[in-house]
Amino acid sequence: MSVTKRVPLSKLAPGEKGVIVAIRSRGPLRRRLLDMGLVRGETVFVERVAPLGDPIEYAVKGSHLSLRRKDAADIIVEIAETEGVYAAG
Amino acid sequence: MTVRRLKVALAGNPNAGKSTVFNALTGAHQHVGNWPGKTVEKKEGYFQHRDLLVEIVDLPGTYSLSAYSPEERIAQEFVTAEHPDLVVNVVDASNLERNLYLTAQLIEIGAPLIIVLNMADIAEQLGYKIDVERFSQLLGVPVLQTAASKGTGMAALKDLIYRAAENPAAFTPPPAALQYEHEMERAVRQLTAALEALPDLGGYRSRWLAIKLIENDAQAVEVLRNLPGGEGVLALLPKILEKLQRVYGDEVDIALADARYGFVRGLTRQTLTLPHCPPRTVSDRIDQIVTHRWLGIPLFLFLMYLVFNLVQNVSAPYMDWIDGVISGPVSAWTLAALHALHASPWLVSLVMDGAIAGVGSVMVFIPSLMVMFFTLAFMEDSGYLARAAFVMDKAMGFLGLNGRAFIPMILGFGCNVPAVYATRTIENRAARILTGLLIPFMSCSARLPVYVVFGMALFGKDAGLVVWALYLVGIVTAALAGWALSRWVLPEVRHSVFVLELPRYRLPTLQGLWLHTWEHTWEFIRKAGTVILGIAVLLWFLLNLPWGVQNPRESYFGQISATIAPVFTPAGFGTWQAAGSLISGFVAKEVVISTMSQIYIGEEEAAAPPPLELHPLDDLKNIAVDFGAATLDAGKSFLEALTPGVRLFSAEEDDASNQTALSRALSQVFTPLSALAFLIYVLLYTPCMATVAAQAQEYGWRWAVFSVLLGLTPAWALAVAVFQIGRLLGVG
Repeated sequence: MSVTKRVPLSKLAPGEKGVIVAIRSRGPLRRRLLDMGLVRGETVFVERVAPLGDPIEYAVKGSHLSLRRKDAADIIVEIAETEGVYAAG
Repeated sequence: MTVRRLKVALAGNPNAGKSTVFNALTGAHQHVGNWPGKTVEKKEGYFQHRDLLVEIVDLPGTYSLSAYSPEERIAQEFVTAEHPDLVVNVVDASNLERNLYLTAQLIEIGAPLIIVLNMADIAEQLGYKIDVERFSQLLGVPVLQTAASKGTGMAALKDLIYRAAENPAAFTPPPAALQYEHEMERAVRQLTAALEALPDLGGYRSRWLAIKLIENDAQAVEVLRNLPGGEGVLALLPKILEKLQRVYGDEVDIALADARYGFVRGLTRQTLTLPHCPPRTVSDRIDQIVTHRWLGIPLFLFLMYLVFNLVQNVSAPYMDWIDGVISGPVSAWTLAALHALHASPWLVSLVMDGAIAGVGSVMVFIPSLMVMFFTLAFMEDSGYLARAAFVMDKAMGFLGLNGRAFIPMILGFGCNVPAVYATRTIENRAARILTGLLIPFMSCSARLPVYVVFGMALFGKDAGLVVWALYLVGIVTAALAGWALSRWVLPEVRHSVFVLELPRYRLPTLQGLWLHTWEHTWEFIRKAGTVILGIAVLLWFLLNLPWGVQNPRESYFGQISATIAPVFTPAGFGTWQAAGSLISGFVAKEVVISTMSQIYIGEEEAAAPPPLELHPLDDLKNIAVDFGAATLDAGKSFLEALTPGVRLFSAEEDDASNQTALSRALSQVFTPLSALAFLIYVLLYTPCMATVAAQAQEYGWRWAVFSVLLGLTPAWALAVAVFQIGRLLGVG
């Protein structure tokens, strides 16, 4: 078993990926996220950040989505602990 | 041969190529309107295949079916309540999993279904292999691969639709096609059984209603309330939901979505083979540049500059051409016809100055609208518009708007009318309306001549500075109004969802672009055109009543102007002449200057008397020759637009003598201060009736009237403030 930790999706940097474990959004946004394929167990890749720092482009289920940083903060993903963290710790 | 009819609904995700399939099937046999009572676009069309007349309704592109957004509700209600004979579900074959989520919901509804795996060519390029036969077996409905943009598979689709008319049962998904996991399935079955005990389900499928009740869908609850015995089933619901919540937490909706995606995953696992190493696509490479950290924004601004130039300059020669044709041959022919019929002078004036002038003011918008619709459709269909929204989203945040609002606002500096129509690219209705309300503060090109004439008359060397400041005042007012409106009038904007799909880039089809452009231009002529024409005729009556009035001051127009004038006294221009030119400016800013010329220098319209002898052949030849010349000019403008800063072709000098006479007259009745107040008023109040008509068409009359008030209030307040503060400071 590899060591994992849970972080908001908005904390991930381009090139990183995580597996969705919880969606804390409410209302229409939550519905929309589900419709767009952001469900538990799905792997999300961070593609790039918009030139002004927001929103962020993600790839999920083979399609590309743009989410605002504050909306991505409500999606919790599980990531593998990187070796860099061990080295620093 | 009797013709049978088949009603087909076209459903699918945005960007799945639904419109392309629709265009390929119906060709020119289509028309655009609105869904009753909604501002969502409705496209309908038909084609005939052997003895079958197939009527197609293109449903709004949605990712899901629910009662949440107007688009999804329309699609869901149409499929469930209007009972189309067949649903054709267009699926992006290169993006199967996400697209099949909607398919799962269509299967739940249980209407006869054809699955069209579109963009099969792209999926193949990406190395995807789809087992179509297995696909069809698992779903229990026919599945077909197409590439609509190349016309591939369209004949087969028509044949398949024909077969659906013969044997709908073979196209109806079996209820067992989609099963959920234990607890969920048990709840669905329990509700289904309760529903089936009811005498009449109003044509809805019991299983679909059961699922939707678990989803707490507003439409399904409404349906149940209206069914005999429905309340009894609704009473069962809380207990069932409580049980589900024990299993799934308060995430029943997620569990349902999970179940559907589970079904989709099972489906793709058995039918789709992905390449081992996904190739880096052209689309990815374009995005690396287009959304690049440093290049993204400059590139966007350059493209915007290009669009603005296209809409503004490329259409200008055609506008002059239309103007020439209407004021030349058309006027001459009509006048000759009226004389031949011995029409009375008032009728001649009504037709010539009222109706034909009104038609002219509608027609003159057509070139820029066509260029705008075409350009925006190109950007939307190619996939760039979504990137533009991605790049500019943060910048629009301070107005409470999202990235999609930027392009309409920029277009507003050219002409507010196409800008209002461009708001259609904004998905969220509240954001669309807010953008449409702010557009009039963008100083359009028709306001510039007014600034220039006053600038020449009263500001001398500082004229340029004044014009620049006016544009800035417009932008600042828009920012303040946007802030206030998004706080108090349209708070939904702040809570609006901005989840944007960035679809793969593709080359739009010429047919699709042309149909889009033509249908929307025609809609403008039909809807906004009639309003504009009506107001033009009304204005003629105001100017010519009471009967036989000679001096404009005595006409109803003059009387109304004089009545309104005192309102502008605190702003320093409370004369009937100024008020009158503002009233005519409500019709169109283009006529402010000509009205002022008439009123202030009493100059007769310089129009040459139409020739009494007609030369229809020569006229027709000239119309054609002038059209050619306009095309040449448009081509030059296009080339100039591509090379910013370089003037390839020398501009002709305008004859400014007429304006100078007016400037002299104005410098005697206005002070620089009252002129500044007047210009601020001209900047901020209602741009023109065409904009109001466009707003009414897009957002409804209530918002159009609101927009007029939204213009008049700050216009007056700021004009008064400038004049009064200026006087206190001893300026002017």
